[in-house]
Amino acid sequence: MHPGLEHYLILSALIFSFGVYGMLTRRNLVAMLLCVELVLNAAALNFVAFHRFLFKGDAAGTVFPILIIAVAAAEAAVALAIVIALFRHRRNLDVRAADTLKG
Amino acid sequence: MTLETFAFWILAAYTLFASYFVVTARNLFRCAVGLAGTLIGVAGLYLLMEATFLSSIQIAVYVGGVVVLVVFAVLMVEDVTQKEFLRSPLSRCLLASVVAELLLAVVGLTMLSQGFGPNRPTFASADVREIGRALLSTQAGGFVLPFEVISLVLIAALVGAITVAGKPGDDYEKPEED
Repeated sequence: MHPGLEHYLILSALIFSFGVYGMLTRRNLVAMLLCVELVLNAAALNFVAFHRFLFKGDAAGTVFPILIIAVAAAEAAVALAIVIALFRHRRNLDVRAADTLKG
Repeated sequence: MTLETFAFWILAAYTLFASYFVVTARNLFRCAVGLAGTLIGVAGLYLLMEATFLSSIQIAVYVGGVVVLVVFAVLMVEDVTQKEFLRSPLSRCLLASVVAELLLAVVGLTMLSQGFGPNRPTFASADVREIGRALLSTQAGGFVLPFEVISLVLIAALVGAITVAGKPGDDYEKPEED
């Protein structure tokens, strides 16, 4: 069966739900960050699939994934800086231990 | 079965397996390796959809940059050889899987109920020239404003990351051991 738009959409929905599951179950900050990256990738895959199959190769479908990649890189940099600062103070990365700001 | 179909199924299975590995692996370093695998698989899918430029960006920035950054951070903060990090209790895992499956069902049913036209692409994908023109065009359909905003975001993120990760009162000329 030739891979069509639906195949790519279902694949990206599966990756997305894996990412959501990981975000809800992981208790380590770095592992949660990796799951966010999965979700972002699923979104970018959707953009490219629509670009390829539905919107006749309009450049917008590849510009948005580029922006997504840039945002993901910025997010990873900031999140890992927070991880290092948190580890320096607490010596562990359990998100449930890091609730000092909770009211 | 054409070569493209075969490549799609192989890449899809590989990507799904790698992303499953990211959410279930017990060791942070293995998670990062799984993420690298997922990203490479998605880059292969981009190639399959003839988005060659995007595929190379994915490899260069994501696999070469973000994953390496994550691996560095993991090596700095964890003893990756021994430590298995904390896992959620079973009840929370079940709840999370129900939530994720509900989301998958909603998204999947919505997509499948749309009936998107023909299944074969009839036009060529945007090439590098078109992407570059779209990124820097000030006319309708141009992306020069997001392009400038994203460069500001990157600068802000870099400065912020250095500020947050650096020690307060740290002297960068003469770093000292802790």
